[in-house]
Amino acid sequence: MTATDDHLMTTDARLAALRHAVPSDTERSPHAYSIDGVEPAVAFSPAHAQEIAALLRAADEAGLVVVPQGGRTALNLGRPLERHDVALDTHGLARIVEYVPDDLTLTVEAGIHLDALQQTLGEHGQYLPIDPPPDDGVSIGGLLATARSGAWRGHLPAARDLLLGAVVALPSGELAGSGGRVVKNVSGYDLHRLHTGALGAFGVIVQASFKVAPLPTATRTLAVRAQTLAEAGVLALRLWNAGLAVRALSVLAPEAAERAGLDGTPTVLVELAGLDVAVDRSAEIVREAARALSRSAEEPAGAPWERLRRLHGDRAATVVRLGVPATAVAEAVEAVRAAGCRSWGHIASGAVIGHAPHLDAAVVERLRAFAAERGGFVQVEAGSRALRAAADPFGPHEVDLVRLLKVRFDARGTLNRGRWMEGV
Amino acid sequence: MLHSRHMTRPEMPTNARAAAIEALERAVGAAHVLHAPEDLIVYEYDATIDRALPDAVVFPATAEEVAAVVRAANAHDLPVVPRGSGTGLSGGAVPVKGGVVVVLTRMNRIVEVDAANRIAVVEPGVINLALQETLAPLGLTWAPDPSSQRICTIGGNVANNSGGPHTLAHGSTVNHVLGLEVVLADGRIVHLGGRVADAPGVDLRGLVVGSEGTLGIVTQATLRLVPTPRAVRTMLAIFDTIDAACEAVSAIIRGGVIPVALEMLDQEIIRAVEPRIHAGFPLDAGAVLLIEIEGLAEAVAVEAEAVIEACRASGAREVRSADTQSERDRLWEGRKSGIGAIGAVTPAFYILDGVVPRTLLPVVMRRILARSAEYGFRCANIFHAGDGNLHPNILFDPQESGAIQRVLDLGGEIMRICVDAGGSITGEHGIGLEKRSYMEWIFTPADLAAMADVRSAFDDAGRFNPCKVLPGGHGCATGHADEVARHLATPGVYI
Ligand SMILES: Cc1cc2nc3c(=O)[nH]c(=O)nc-3n(C[C@H](O)[C@H](O)[C@H](O)COP(=O)(O)OP(=O)(O)OC[C@H]3O[C@@H](n4cnc5c(N)ncnc54)[C@H](O)[C@@H]3O)c2cc1C
Repeated sequence: MTATDDHLMTTDARLAALRHAVPSDTERSPHAYSIDGVEPAVAFSPAHAQEIAALLRAADEAGLVVVPQGGRTALNLGRPLERHDVALDTHGLARIVEYVPDDLTLTVEAGIHLDALQQTLGEHGQYLPIDPPPDDGVSIGGLLATARSGAWRGHLPAARDLLLGAVVALPSGELAGSGGRVVKNVSGYDLHRLHTGALGAFGVIVQASFKVAPLPTATRTLAVRAQTLAEAGVLALRLWNAGLAVRALSVLAPEAAERAGLDGTPTVLVELAGLDVAVDRSAEIVREAARALSRSAEEPAGAPWERLRRLHGDRAATVVRLGVPATAVAEAVEAVRAAGCRSWGHIASGAVIGHAPHLDAAVVERLRAFAAERGGFVQVEAGSRALRAAADPFGPHEVDLVRLLKVRFDARGTLNRGRWMEGV
Repeated sequence: MLHSRHMTRPEMPTNARAAAIEALERAVGAAHVLHAPEDLIVYEYDATIDRALPDAVVFPATAEEVAAVVRAANAHDLPVVPRGSGTGLSGGAVPVKGGVVVVLTRMNRIVEVDAANRIAVVEPGVINLALQETLAPLGLTWAPDPSSQRICTIGGNVANNSGGPHTLAHGSTVNHVLGLEVVLADGRIVHLGGRVADAPGVDLRGLVVGSEGTLGIVTQATLRLVPTPRAVRTMLAIFDTIDAACEAVSAIIRGGVIPVALEMLDQEIIRAVEPRIHAGFPLDAGAVLLIEIEGLAEAVAVEAEAVIEACRASGAREVRSADTQSERDRLWEGRKSGIGAIGAVTPAFYILDGVVPRTLLPVVMRRILARSAEYGFRCANIFHAGDGNLHPNILFDPQESGAIQRVLDLGGEIMRICVDAGGSITGEHGIGLEKRSYMEWIFTPADLAAMADVRSAFDDAGRFNPCKVLPGGHGCATGHADEVARHLATPGVYI
């Protein structure tokens, strides 16, 4: 079919073509699938990778725009969609394909949720060592497509570095794989890396293989209240260089500390993880470092990390993520706070999160300039449709190559049209 | 290492060649272009089997010069083949279709080390060890530590996504590259990734790392550094048989303590290395494991106990700990000299690179050794056991008639054994020229078509490093490997 035929087809005829391509029992009511207030014309929840491929091909031929959705936790990341004709729910693909605990390797379908997966792995004393926001309902496909990470990043690898291979459904109707299931592999192009963080621009991830890790035998969280954010920054950098058995090390502005269930003061929050002896020794080091600044390290009550993760993943608010070098984290937390956000930052990854009910595009651009001066960037992780239309959610990046790739994989803009940039 | 096989191709007309060389001389200066046949010979091979002469070799000093070379190559329709030190083990830097070899070794500045933020910015011609030596006094390292680190370049490491003993803990090169400056096939200079991890945008950085010089020429890399550990324990576990050592590897991983390095050397290797290096490997051992653990001193002690226990349970004769830095250095010297030492005990050898699931290590090794014996070849093994990354080395005498063919046959069979075990045809050396034909064993036509789409998006004319990574390709010479690949192909077996 050519683009001209495409114009001539009525919407009903297009939908009929689509319905013809996938089993009828996979169709769902479109009401539950609106994005930015726009309801799709149809919704499907296929149960097999081949069905997804067939659906994509039919949509591509019929000129319909498909929006894959897993946990629906990050749909307001990116520019507003240009169209939303077909919701593709990946819940039906939630099987564990292969799990070999003794090899520490895992292959799953992309619709499986991270919390369910962690439970299965936990039964074998293992886990997928990533903690993306929001804390509930993240599907593996969504996790990869958004490439979001949390406080552990920098101490532990990002999802893209744990990913051993993937299978992706393409608008051509093909299923294309890359990588493999073994922990080390450099055969062929790492297309799974291309799809990680691509927000579904080039294909729909249907299966992924990971390297998993043994669970730490002990974890302990300590909080140190500081006088100022600058002091918190100094302490955090010292701890970063102290060789701790550490999984998270963050600087919190007072308002963020309060939302994490801590006292409303500038705070260093650290999560130690590893063998008991390592955690004990690390805790001593943290206490000594705090003492050297006449502060004390306490084990906080409650669940500060979960609360921060929920705040980071808040779909109703505006959330920005800056990336800056470690030595600029405390300063960036201060700048984001001054912009009217609850803010906190992770030393090892340089990710600084800002959470506010609303931000103006001008504020986002100011923060972008601040980060750029330090060699970093800003990404709008969630925000109103208006904000995401007015402020580029991503900032400058190589667009020509992305367009060339888009043309190769999705020339007609069938997938998530407009999320990256016009037409992409 | 292996005796040569020349790839032949049609000659370029003399006047076209002269015009092209003139354009290249304008791009980088006449002093930095080689085109006399006696000079070109040095650049016809890397550390593997195949050879082919380039039309010219250029030595640019800046990204702008690289871009100018690419534009000149475009204007004169010449292939472009990037090259670092030429230590590649898959034929990646061999100019199969001639053209311009772009040697990056003049671009060897360490541009910046930001120790406080654990970032280094380097040009591609920096030698891996030179960077490590600059970083060591700052308490930092760049994690990729290939055994060739004394001579290989960072650009080569990035292009091949190289690994090393410490890849087990830290992952391959791609995990340690934050950003890249790259010259594309159209001569544009682009920046991918950045100075901070997880930059927004499609991860083109992650795609270019490991693309073996086919998607772009790396002219600068921003690297993520790691601190040198507080405490390190290096151990040597000694086994009577390679089988028991393989069992120990599986047992260690299964036990949940993941060392930072877990390397195997078999008897052939020990006997080649020990008389030269005196690392302390017992000559009568069937195999040894070199095991390293790092972290806080308290934890290292506990983890070492777990590892020793797993080794004993698998039949280790003895587990020694290096007590001093010099003992530790000697053990590592023994490991890193292993491949080189093989050269002293055989007229030639052929190194393979495969990966298998770690639980299958014992059975796969048994199969490989049995097959080698059936062929009548000695097989020496020195490899990254913790990752399941095998390096069988087939020892042979190239004077013997038909030996090279039989080596390639056995090599193909060993690759096939890895694939049939659910593994891969390369863990770190890359596909290059040598393993293109095996790609169809592990990827479907649709997989390969998607990869070809990526390549054409970056380089529609296929000018950069032609006949590498992907099978087929117009005018790409087919060698014996193709026949082996076809002969051993089992339809429907894909990972
Ligand atoms: C004794 C020995 C031991 C080895 N041990 C290991 C090991 O432990 N682990 C391991 O992974 N490898 C190992 N290797 C293989 C080899 O050293 C690595 O692949 C290394 O990274 C290659 O670097 P090089 O500078 O020699 O690259 P070259 O061989 O010159 O090139 C390798 C590939 O990279 C491309 N390339 C080079 N520079 C650039 C650039 N700037 N931009 C784009 N493309 C480029 C080339 O076109 C080619 O495809 C070993 C090799 C030898 C000989």
